[in-house]
Amino acid sequence: MRILLVDDEVAIQRAVGPLLRSRGYEVDVAGSGAEALDSFEGRTPDLVVLDLGLPDLEGTEVCRRIRAKSPLPIIVLSARSAERDKVNALDLGADDYVTKPFGPEELLARIRVALRRVGAEEPTDTGTFRAGDLTIDYDRRRVLRDDTEMRLTPKEFELLSLLVRNHDRVLTHRAILKAVWGPNAVEQPEHLWTLVAQLRKKIEPDPGAPKYLVSEPWVGYRFVTGGRDSTD
Amino acid sequence: MSGNWRRLAAALTVLASVTALLRWLAVSNAGTVSTSYLLVVLVVAATSRLLVAIVTSIAAMLCLNFFFLPPIGNLTIAEPHNWVALFAFLAVSLVASHLSAVAHARTEEAVGRRDELARLFDLSRDVLMMTDSPEALAVLARSVARRFDLDFVAMALPHKDDWNVFEAGTGHLDLDRRDLSKALASAQASLEFDAHARTYAGHRTMTVAGRDIRLVPLRVGTKPIGILAAAGRPVEAGTLDALAGVVAIAIERAQFLEERKASELTRQSEQLKTALLASLGHDLRTPLTAIRVAAGNIVAPGLTPGDRAGQSELILTEVERLTRLFENTLDMARIDAGAVATESRRTHPSEIVAAARDQVEHTLAGNRVTVSIDKDEPVRLDPRLTASALAHLLENAAQYTPAGSPIDVDVRMSGEGLLLAVRDHGPGIAPADLPHVFERFYRGSSAKARASGTGMGLWIVRGLLAVEQGRVWAENCPDGGARFTIVVPAAMKDVS
Repeated sequence: MRILLVDDEVAIQRAVGPLLRSRGYEVDVAGSGAEALDSFEGRTPDLVVLDLGLPDLEGTEVCRRIRAKSPLPIIVLSARSAERDKVNALDLGADDYVTKPFGPEELLARIRVALRRVGAEEPTDTGTFRAGDLTIDYDRRRVLRDDTEMRLTPKEFELLSLLVRNHDRVLTHRAILKAVWGPNAVEQPEHLWTLVAQLRKKIEPDPGAPKYLVSEPWVGYRFVTGGRDSTD
Repeated sequence: MSGNWRRLAAALTVLASVTALLRWLAVSNAGTVSTSYLLVVLVVAATSRLLVAIVTSIAAMLCLNFFFLPPIGNLTIAEPHNWVALFAFLAVSLVASHLSAVAHARTEEAVGRRDELARLFDLSRDVLMMTDSPEALAVLARSVARRFDLDFVAMALPHKDDWNVFEAGTGHLDLDRRDLSKALASAQASLEFDAHARTYAGHRTMTVAGRDIRLVPLRVGTKPIGILAAAGRPVEAGTLDALAGVVAIAIERAQFLEERKASELTRQSEQLKTALLASLGHDLRTPLTAIRVAAGNIVAPGLTPGDRAGQSELILTEVERLTRLFENTLDMARIDAGAVATESRRTHPSEIVAAARDQVEHTLAGNRVTVSIDKDEPVRLDPRLTASALAHLLENAAQYTPAGSPIDVDVRMSGEGLLLAVRDHGPGIAPADLPHVFERFYRGSSAKARASGTGMGLWIVRGLLAVEQGRVWAENCPDGGARFTIVVPAAMKDVS
């Protein structure tokens, strides 16, 4: 597996490069947006780790250009103060994000999940999907928890299947609102909060501490398969 | 009064001279004589007060009777028609005196009005020039006293339960606070226009230490906001009212300026806080991430010993960077708090350069530094602050030029003191950035995207140099690269 690491900070390159190599990944390093795009074209990585604060191009722009050419996973590195850039990058097609300062395991786990999604078969809206004690039967539009059927409204089912189709990946509030309610609803997150709360009551063993439908504060939601702390 | 006596004496002298002249010319026609006397009376009436003119008229009548109406040399009158002539003369001269005096008074009044208007105009100009200094109201009181030639001026403004009084003039008078309160209360209770004095009623007088002080309400529109007290040169009530109006506007303006300044200060300090947080956030994040990841790497399996050494070196570098950031923040706080003290010592310039290079050794590792010292003779200055300032300049040069480019340090004595110049061979400073490089958290337009650099260093240099009473400036060299120069006052002689 080949990873393209894009960060203009030499310190990050020098720390994260060896980290990834020590886990058996091949690593290409780019210090600017232009270098990143060159390397992406020439060396066809399997995944990109992209810092949003680059000297030449906006990180979100790099994200957009890569996404325009390839569906490969993009993990964004961002600062907490750049919340909006992060959400923009996710809306532009980034798969996940890690906030600086991050620990090594955090980054590695995100990379593993993202690569696994690529390796797995493209999730479809047919057949059944299993995660933990949940079974989603697309053909009959049913959701079972421990073999007990949960009655979901059509909107709840739509939201759940959207998140499950993109399991282990962050979907921004905006993206979810647009997909479930249409483009006019993107400024009305209340719809989403209400629906998520309803859905959690039905599918979560403990709706107060959700393990499937996990919030990413100020960013969006993620459907976690097999618990969020699972490591391969 | 003495002016009137002098004028009267002059008038009588002229009268006596005319009498002597007429006698010498042996003029006996009463008509000619009375016309000549009338001329004298008119001249006197036109140039002096009514009283002087009346006295002159009576004196002229007596002279006419005594010297020219028969029997001559006597105040009796023989022929009845001469009585008529005599009283006709007196009546004409008195009426003429009165008319002339009225015209005279009108002129004086007009001149007086013009004068007061000019004073009001000058005062308005002073008000417009008023700045937002805390002294503004005291300055305003002084302007009023100066422009209106008043011995005493006070602006009394109610403040909670007491009065704030701003005084000016030649002496201090203790205003009775209760009288002020009463004057303000009555001004607040009623607003009455006095048509006769062409002013708003509510003027009062107060007697302090035997002096009459006039009190006028200070009104903004019709609302009284305080009391103006004045003593000295008499000022017409209408003018005093207008003056109070101007002063009231000025007070409002001063208060507005003060509020604006306060809100401006709040805004600036908010901005500074935001900038500080953004800068710290940015500069802490990278080293912390690198250290955290590298520390994990050291113990992780699958790394070569060379890799491990590299990781440990990386940790040291980043810790160094954090230390530097911490020191900068501390320096900044010290400068802000005015807590930087200088301590002059005898020092060799080469020691300062060595100390500075030592402080930023890690940052400078990628650059070749050439030092040229004109004369390495001991100087007396604060070596710690100077080295710290130089270190910041070196760090700045290393950060904003390509890795491996040379940096030249030039040290020599100048007329002002010890001069240390740091010249790099990078892209130079963009002309738009040049005026701002020493501002806190300012980062050059091309440097914004760069990761390193906090915008603190050069501000700290300026702060340190200010403590040492030196100066620092930046320039672009004609053949490329930027040069930062600092000059620190230093004595070369008497170094012991």
